[in-house]
Amino acid sequence: MYFRETGQFKSKYKEELAAFPIFEDKIGIAIAALLAFVLIPIFGLPGLSWDFTMSAVMIPVVIFTITTLGLNILLGFAGQISLGTAAFMGVGAYSCYKIMTIFPDLNALICVVLSGIVTAFVGTIFGLPSLRIKGFYLMVATLAAQFFLEWAFIRIPWLYNYNISGAIEVPYKEMFGIVLTGAKSEPLTRYFVCLGFLVVLTWLASNVIRGRIGRSWMMIRDMDIAAELIGVRPLTAKLSAFAFSSFYIGISGALMVFFWLGAAEVESFDINHSFTYLFMVIIGGLGSITGCYFGAILVWVVPVILKEYGKSVFGIDAFVMENFTTILLGVVMVVILIVEPHGLARIWQIAKQKLRLWPFPY
Amino acid sequence: MVNEQKKVMMEVKNINLRFGGVIAIQDVSFDIQEGEIRAIIGPNGAGKSSMLNVINGFYHPQEGEIWFRGEKRPSMEPYEVAKTGIARTFQNIALFKGMTTIENVMTGRQLQMNKNFFWQLFRYGPAIEEEVEHRKRCEEIIDFLEINHIRKSPVGSLPYGLQKRVELARALAMEPELLLLDEPMAGMNVEEKQDMSRFIIDVNEEFGTTIALIEHDMAVVMDLADRVVVLDYGKMLADGTPKEVQSNQAVIDAYLGVAH
Ligand SMILES: Nc1ncnc2c1ncn2[C@@H]1O[C@H](COP(=O)(O)OP(=O)(O)OP(=O)(O)O)[C@@H](O)[C@H]1O
Ligand SMILES: [Mg+2]
Repeated sequence: MYFRETGQFKSKYKEELAAFPIFEDKIGIAIAALLAFVLIPIFGLPGLSWDFTMSAVMIPVVIFTITTLGLNILLGFAGQISLGTAAFMGVGAYSCYKIMTIFPDLNALICVVLSGIVTAFVGTIFGLPSLRIKGFYLMVATLAAQFFLEWAFIRIPWLYNYNISGAIEVPYKEMFGIVLTGAKSEPLTRYFVCLGFLVVLTWLASNVIRGRIGRSWMMIRDMDIAAELIGVRPLTAKLSAFAFSSFYIGISGALMVFFWLGAAEVESFDINHSFTYLFMVIIGGLGSITGCYFGAILVWVVPVILKEYGKSVFGIDAFVMENFTTILLGVVMVVILIVEPHGLARIWQIAKQKLRLWPFPY
Repeated sequence: MVNEQKKVMMEVKNINLRFGGVIAIQDVSFDIQEGEIRAIIGPNGAGKSSMLNVINGFYHPQEGEIWFRGEKRPSMEPYEVAKTGIARTFQNIALFKGMTTIENVMTGRQLQMNKNFFWQLFRYGPAIEEEVEHRKRCEEIIDFLEINHIRKSPVGSLPYGLQKRVELARALAMEPELLLLDEPMAGMNVEEKQDMSRFIIDVNEEFGTTIALIEHDMAVVMDLADRVVVLDYGKMLADGTPKEVQSNQAVIDAYLGVAH
């Protein structure tokens, strides 16, 4: 029997309110942490070069998990839909660039956090329509935000410091003598910076979700009339969800440009990317923090690895492989959503429950 | 049963509520006394739920005044009304479907909890103390309503009767002074109705909560209510003790008129 909840009695509510009340969950977390912090950074992934593992698999998936967390807070926990995710990442990236330009001596990590705060403000403003409209109409309003911001990223040259290329160019930054950003930075450094952000942000999100504010979001999501009646002010609940969510998305956008891509143009923030992040959330599981990890891994890591294996192991042409993985991913998503509309997180939960009772499934 | 010395807690005066051409409530006035169980009855579409919605701040009547605790209440939004100590259950269950029973009950404590965002962010110190303290209170309410066995069940999968009970638990968690119940026993079998009646009486007697409830089952109303107000087509037909109301000719006509 692996996941046994019975027998682990909680003598205090405080224990039950802990993040991982079940012992076996703690083991799972420990294994994941060992992989992410030690094994993969040392050995890479089997069959892939170490450089490729870091720069094409691990750094981006960590960043996209942060994005997915942000979007899931809004969509999965507060029930407010947004198609502007990529554009808000853009807000994070461009504001990080401006902050670094205006305060050249400021620590890069602080710049990232500040750009998250700027994005939170912008997200709150674009969240205002949610006070009047819901569902499909809100989706259209956020679509407008997406296009407006894309337009702004091109038409306001101040945002990219009037560079001829129209792109963000990542400056050289260091901390304690370690190069953090720019062409000279080590992938390993950038990976650990992103991973650090992910760990802290996951912890904070799970705290907020389980407390008063998180509950107010879920109340608005599930039954806004009853929520209001219990004293939740829709304005506060919805806008705080937009702000908190945008904070995450902004940070992920800044990390994406400054700790992964190294340069960025407006294409990195277009509507297609917004849809990708939406897929990650839905496949992973709406309203589940673990689901964010699953979603980002399935949608990002699996295709990249398949493409690489196809090339190196089977010698299949990259272009063919690209199409193949796109089709495969599409099929997998449809199957998952038919089998379990609540995504991978729910499948995982059911599997755990089965294991808990194993080998006596009754 | 009616105690003349009792203080008036809430008074609605000359309420008129229209939806376009539809007149939902027409010149209705009545009061709710402190500590009583007040029933609102009437045929379908009489305007009973609309009346609760007016009290709750969901509907804003075109005319009329609401007096609460001796003061005229300004026009309020539902979340503001909640702060004045008024809780409510719905005719069509309005639970938070994505949450478990205990989580639903915890939502009732929302207004009593006030630790700010930064404590929440770290779920540390005051924030976690507050969480534990309110969790205890909620567990007590769950014990009281005998829904211990479903504490961790997602509410969406519960049978109808239990969902109604969880909704009552959530309202009780608000520790209201005035509790509005919109058909708390609709669709229940006799046994479930008896349980629910018992809980309503217990809440009224043990916590001293004033209760206004809408109910179709006359037997239940006769048992529970101290006073009854009767609505029909938005107008008030009668107001008095269950006995008085039952023998009122206008009331009998109204009920016979809709083939009850
Ligand atoms: N939001 C609304 N918009 C338009 N008309 C409404 C609205 N709410 C209520 N009404 C109308 O007001 C009248 C009274 O409705 P209400 O729901 O208060 O009746 P009720 O006494 O609760 O009936 P029931 O016993 O069926 O619950 C009905 O004619 C209804 O159609
Ligand atoms: Mg009704």
